[in-house]
Amino acid sequence: MPKKLRSLITPWSIWLAILGIILLAGLVAGLLVFWKGLVITNLTDLVPWGLWITIDLSSIALSAGAFSLCAGVYLFGLKRYQPIARTATFVGLIGYSMAMLALILDIGRPDRFWHALVYWNEHSLLWEVTMCVMLYLTVLVFESMPIFANFEWLRKRFPKLAHRMKGLHHYAPVLAIIGLGLSSLHQSSLGATYGVIKARPFWFKPEMSVLFMLSAIVGGISMTLFASMLASRLTNKAKVNDALIERVALFVGYLLIGYFYFRVWDALAQTYTYDPGRNEGLHVMTKGPLAFNFWIGEMLLGMIVPTFLLLYKPTRQNPFWRMVGLFLVAAGVVAFRWDTNISGFLVVMPFVPGQAIGYTNYFPSLVEFLSGGAIIAYGLTAFSLGVKYLRVVDHTLIEGEHEKVHVKATETVTI
Amino acid sequence: MSDSKLSRRDVLKLAGTAAATAIGLRVVKKAHANESAPAGERQWAMVIDQNKCIGCGYCVLACRAHNDVSPDITWNPVLEAGKVGNKNVYLPRPCMHCAKAPCVEVCPVKASYYRSDGIVMMDYDRCIGCRYCEVACPYQARSFNWDSFTANNPAVPEWGDPEVDRRPRGVPEKCSFCYQRIDRGLALGLEPGVDPDATPACVVVCPVGARLFGDLNDPESAVSKALRENPSYRLREDLGTGPRVYYIPAVAEKES
Repeated sequence: MPKKLRSLITPWSIWLAILGIILLAGLVAGLLVFWKGLVITNLTDLVPWGLWITIDLSSIALSAGAFSLCAGVYLFGLKRYQPIARTATFVGLIGYSMAMLALILDIGRPDRFWHALVYWNEHSLLWEVTMCVMLYLTVLVFESMPIFANFEWLRKRFPKLAHRMKGLHHYAPVLAIIGLGLSSLHQSSLGATYGVIKARPFWFKPEMSVLFMLSAIVGGISMTLFASMLASRLTNKAKVNDALIERVALFVGYLLIGYFYFRVWDALAQTYTYDPGRNEGLHVMTKGPLAFNFWIGEMLLGMIVPTFLLLYKPTRQNPFWRMVGLFLVAAGVVAFRWDTNISGFLVVMPFVPGQAIGYTNYFPSLVEFLSGGAIIAYGLTAFSLGVKYLRVVDHTLIEGEHEKVHVKATETVTI
Repeated sequence: MSDSKLSRRDVLKLAGTAAATAIGLRVVKKAHANESAPAGERQWAMVIDQNKCIGCGYCVLACRAHNDVSPDITWNPVLEAGKVGNKNVYLPRPCMHCAKAPCVEVCPVKASYYRSDGIVMMDYDRCIGCRYCEVACPYQARSFNWDSFTANNPAVPEWGDPEVDRRPRGVPEKCSFCYQRIDRGLALGLEPGVDPDATPACVVVCPVGARLFGDLNDPESAVSKALRENPSYRLREDLGTGPRVYYIPAVAEKES
């Protein structure tokens, strides 16, 4: 092999090549879906939402670090966590754009996605979610402007524009308020999207929205911390302040206890209610096709193990075990989303009097896997590029303070 | 400035509160108006007599032919519903045209909507294909067009044409109470439920007269009479959806 060629083969280029292959395969699969229609998926009239919806829900949930950390930094005055909030914002931007991609694949008429913005049904949770997600994505674009201003080429070629973009940082507190409002609305409404469906008793319960909100905050923060730590291990472009991450990881550990309590109360105690169909749903989840996912994915690896890893000081202080813990939390939230979506469908409620409750099944098709995989690969690519070129994970980079000007009411102010 | 007078700030605050209240009221009012079907002069309903239904499936075929439904989809399946005595009982299931339809409530773009005569309609051009209605419907009354339907429809006879357009790929479809027959019939001065040309195809074709159609607001209509004179039930009444399809339950024939 010539020397020149060999020098091109770096871990970075291999990583990009792997991502490129997944993206290409997914692009072909995605185009097939647009060409042939949803008939080439394994979705049916009984299970109309499957893998793509899980990717959509999960990427929105794991983006929740953006609003929660921004609120912490800019509204509750935890200023020293600002570098983490910046990473979270970028992760959020990627996550929400991933969700958009998944939705475009999933809806039957992707050319009409804009109808939700024009024809309003204020009564529909999906309408509310669509509006909030669109608006919040806009907020995230504004919040990410100072990050994009770090792009070397942009700073050299358009210094004025880069300066302007950087200046948007001064609106961060305002954007944090809007982001907090919009996120509280749609993170919980995504749960309510399921929670209001009285035709499916396993979903029809009021705590659905609370759980979605809580799990999103836990999972979103974990995702951001995990991504930061992993990046800092793989490249020297990413610089993290380990003490900062450890503090937030401890906070995640405490939150996990609350999440665990609520999830057990919701899933196993069924909020102390009984309706036909509920026990069947519980059966599907604890003993049926979702049992492994629920007991191992959600409960053991998603909550119990990471709670220990993040609250027990020696494991928390060890970067490797902390990273494992944070990853498990994020994966556990994905498992929760999958279980929630599928459990409601697998139990088929009868409407003919006297008929027994039925069951159905769903396993995604290859096309769903390939296109879904490409959406995830897109997210990884965007994050990798961000780390390399935009200093997304750089805890040494501190944005300017928001200066407070103390003035007396009678004083004339000149700035 | 004395204390009794309103400052400019107070006025602005008051104005803001008033505006917010007005907007709030408007939203509440709109949401309320959205809750159930508006009650027009006519309220169409269907009564299906399970004593009479023999499960022949003619209604399924007639529905297919008139509405150009693909062989993959059935708007109006005839389901087996156990036995009474030694007689098989069947349950044909059209769209229930609920007064409080979950599909209408959840549709993000108002592609599902109520007509003032109670029919739950679909605007196939507005639909984005999210399938939330399918998720929400307790009666599995909606079927999604996973594939495009371009082939000849085997249910459509050579001597006739379907009455409505074919639905495109990517939208869910369902029974519409043959709104096209009702509307055209009314325009021609016919009475739905009485004149075959103004009555849903499944009702007209039924060889044993198991289906009745008519106006619930008219006490003399076939459906009103049937509901007065017979015990009846609706599917999943516990959900509070208020279906407009009533069933007369099958009873065991007396031993002669």
